[in-house]
Amino acid sequence: MSRPQEKGNVVSRLYEWIKNGLERTIFMGIQYTYPKRFVSPLGYLGTLTGIVFLVLGVSGGLLMIYYQPTLSGCGSLTCAFASIERINNTVPSGWLLRNIHYTASNAMVLLAVLHMYYQYFSGRFKIKNEVLWVTGIILGIITGLEAFTGYDLLFNQRAGLAIEIGSSLANASPLIGGTLRLATFGAGFTDFVLRLYAAHVFILPMVMLILVFIHFPRYLVFDLPVISTVVGGLFMVAAIFPVAVGVAYSPSNPQLTIPEWYLTGIYALLRTEFDKFVMGGLMPALLFLTALVVPFVDTSKKLSWKDRPFFTALGITTIAQIIITTAWGFYINPNTNLPTLSRLFVDPVLYFSSMLGVTVLSFAFTYAFLRYLKAKERVRRAVAPMTPLLTKRWVFIIFLMLVGAQLTLNFFAWTAALTNLNAMTLFDAGAILVTFGVIAHLYRYSQSLPF
Amino acid sequence: MVEDSKETTPSQQKPSEAEKKPAATVASQVRPPVPAQGATTAPRPPPPRPPVPAQAQTPAVAPQRKQSGRRTFLKALVAVGAILAIVPFVPWGNYLLSSVSSSGPAKKQNVVLDLNTTSNNNANGAVSGQQVNVNDLTSFPPNGSWLITYPTSGDLTIDSQNPDTFQKFALIRLPTELGGANKSASAFVAYSKVCVHLWCSPNYDPQKSSNPTYETYQCPCHGSIYQLPTKDSSGNLVDAGKAVAGPASLQAPPTNAIPMLTLTADSNGDLIIQPPVWDVDHNGVIGYGRNYASYQNYILPLAEGEQLP
Repeated sequence: MSRPQEKGNVVSRLYEWIKNGLERTIFMGIQYTYPKRFVSPLGYLGTLTGIVFLVLGVSGGLLMIYYQPTLSGCGSLTCAFASIERINNTVPSGWLLRNIHYTASNAMVLLAVLHMYYQYFSGRFKIKNEVLWVTGIILGIITGLEAFTGYDLLFNQRAGLAIEIGSSLANASPLIGGTLRLATFGAGFTDFVLRLYAAHVFILPMVMLILVFIHFPRYLVFDLPVISTVVGGLFMVAAIFPVAVGVAYSPSNPQLTIPEWYLTGIYALLRTEFDKFVMGGLMPALLFLTALVVPFVDTSKKLSWKDRPFFTALGITTIAQIIITTAWGFYINPNTNLPTLSRLFVDPVLYFSSMLGVTVLSFAFTYAFLRYLKAKERVRRAVAPMTPLLTKRWVFIIFLMLVGAQLTLNFFAWTAALTNLNAMTLFDAGAILVTFGVIAHLYRYSQSLPF
Repeated sequence: MVEDSKETTPSQQKPSEAEKKPAATVASQVRPPVPAQGATTAPRPPPPRPPVPAQAQTPAVAPQRKQSGRRTFLKALVAVGAILAIVPFVPWGNYLLSSVSSSGPAKKQNVVLDLNTTSNNNANGAVSGQQVNVNDLTSFPPNGSWLITYPTSGDLTIDSQNPDTFQKFALIRLPTELGGANKSASAFVAYSKVCVHLWCSPNYDPQKSSNPTYETYQCPCHGSIYQLPTKDSSGNLVDAGKAVAGPASLQAPPTNAIPMLTLTADSNGDLIIQPPVWDVDHNGVIGYGRNYASYQNYILPLAEGEQLP
C-alpha cells in the first residue's frame, strides 16, 4: 500500500498511522468534532456523562481489588463494611479512589438528568431520534439501579435502609413479588451481597455498554478543555465534600437515615403509607412511562420549547414535582418524642395537594411566560465581528503563568501526598486538571490569533 | 492572489483566516514556495459547510504554522501542561501495591503451631496447637520443624485450614551444632513456605542436617535447596535461607534467598513473631526473595535480644 510521503516527527507519523489503521473499524463511523472555540457544554452533556462513566469504570475497577463481597468471616455482617473501611483508612490512595467513585456516581446521575432535560426542551429527541431517546431513558433507569446497587455494597446504616426498602418493594409486587425478591435479592444478606455485587460490577455495566452503542449518535463532540475541567472539578468537589464510611449496618440496631438524594423521592412516596407497590413502584414508573411516550405523542415538527407550550409545561411540571417529592423525602419530623414511624410519616393530603398545586402553577407559569415572550417581539441583533480579547503577548504571559501554577500545584500535591493529607491531594489533583483544561482552551483560542 | 481569493470567500472561518493574512504575506516574502501552495488551496469550497473536524482545515494553514517558532513553543507548553496534569497521579499507583493478605499493619503474634489437618498432612504431630517455648527441649527438640501461620485470622482452626502458603512458615529448631539447644530465640528460624523459584512449597528434611552445609530446606518441584545458617570463620551464624542448589540458587540476588520471620522470646521463653518488614533488606518479600545477609544484619540481632529500631 503506497502512501504519500508523510511529514512530521515520529509521534505525529505514528498518530497518522494508527488513525489510518482505524479506517476499517467502527470508530470511523462516528464523526468526532473537536470544537475550535468554546461551545456550550449543554449540547454535549451526553458525552460528559460518558466521560464520568469512564471515570467510574476506572475507579470502580480499582476498588474491586480490595472490596470483599462477603459478610461472614469477620464477625456479624461486617466483612464487606470492614473491607471498605480498610480501603478508606489503610490502602494507599484508597481514600482518593473511594471518594472519586462516590462523587462521580452523583455527578453521573446529575449529568444524565440534565442531559435528558436539555434534549427534551430543545426538541432534539424528535425527528428520527426516537430510538436514541428511548435508549437514553432506559440508560437513565439503569444508571439509577447502578447507583442503588453501588451504595448498598457498603453495608453501612444507609445501605441497610436501601436494602430493606428495595427488598420490601420487590416483595410488594403483585403475583411475582416473592419470585422477584428471590431473583434479585436472594434468600438472605449473604446471598444478597454477592448478587448485588455481580449486578453492580458486571451485569448492569454490560447492559449499559450495549445500550450506549445504540445510544451513540453519529456526531460526537469531544472537547478536551471542558472534559479536563469537568473531571478536575469533580475531583475538587470530592475533596471538599468527602463522604464518611458511616456506621456498620446492624439489623438489631437500625438508625434513622435518609437515602441518597436521587432516591429520597421514592422514600417520600413510601412514607405516605399508602400501598407500597403503588407508591414505590407505579408512581415512579408513571414518570418514566411519560418520558418514554413523549416522542410518540409530541410529533409536531416544531423543535423549540417556545413553540411547544404544552410539552414545555409538562417538562417544567415534572421538574417541580421531582423537587417537591425529593424535598419531602429529606423531611423528618424534628420532634424526637414521637415514635420513629410517626416522625417519618408524610401526610398524604399535604403531599398530594402540594403536587397538584405545583402542577397547576407550572402550567400557568409556562403559558404566561410564553405569551409574554410572544408579545415582546425580539429583534435579532446582528452578530458583532469578534475582536480578540487577548493580544499574543498576553497569551504568552498567561500561558507561562498557568504552567507555573501547575508546577506549584504539583508541588503542593506532592507534599500533601507525603503527609497523607488525602483531601488536599485530591483537591490539588483536581485543580491541576482544571488548569490543564484552561491551558488547552487558551491554546485553542490562540489558534485564532495572528502569529 | 492569495489575499484576493480569500477576501471573496465569506466563510464562517473568515475571521480566523483573515487574521492569518498578514502572517501569510510575511511568510511569502521570506519564502517563495509558500504562496504557490497557498494558491493551490485557495479555491476551497465556499461557506455552507457543516462543522469540520480539525484536520480538514490544516492543509491551508499548516505550511504557515510550520514557520512559526512561537506556535511550536505554545505547543510545547501544552505538552508540558499535559505532562504536569498526569504527574500527580503517578504516586496513586501505590494503591495496587498494598498487601492483600495482611489486613491492616503488621502485628506481633505468639508462635502457636497449626492444628493437624488432612490438608497439612498432620504436620505438627503431638504438639499441634501449642505455644512454642524455647526452654522446652523435649516438645520442641533441636533439628525439628513445625508449621505456623502468619498473620493469624485470630482463629486457630481457620488458620490451620487456610491453604494459602503465602501465610505459612516452617518453624525450624536448628541442629545442636548450630546452637539449637540454646534456650533462646536464636535457636529457631522461620522460613517462608513459598519457594522463590516457582512458588512450590519446600519442606525441612532433618536427615540432611549432618551434611556440613545443612542443605535441609528442599523444594519438591525442581530441587531448589535452601541452607540453614552456616558458621563463618569466627563462628557466627550467617546467611540463613540462602539457596545453595537448584534453580533458586541460580537466580540473581536478592531473589536467591527465602523470606523469613523475625522471632524473639519473652521472659517466660514463649516464642513471639515480631511485626515483619516486608522488604528485601529485612524479612524479604514472600515469593520474591530476600537479601540473605539480612539474617545476620537484622533478624539474628533481634532474636538475640536487641531492641527493635
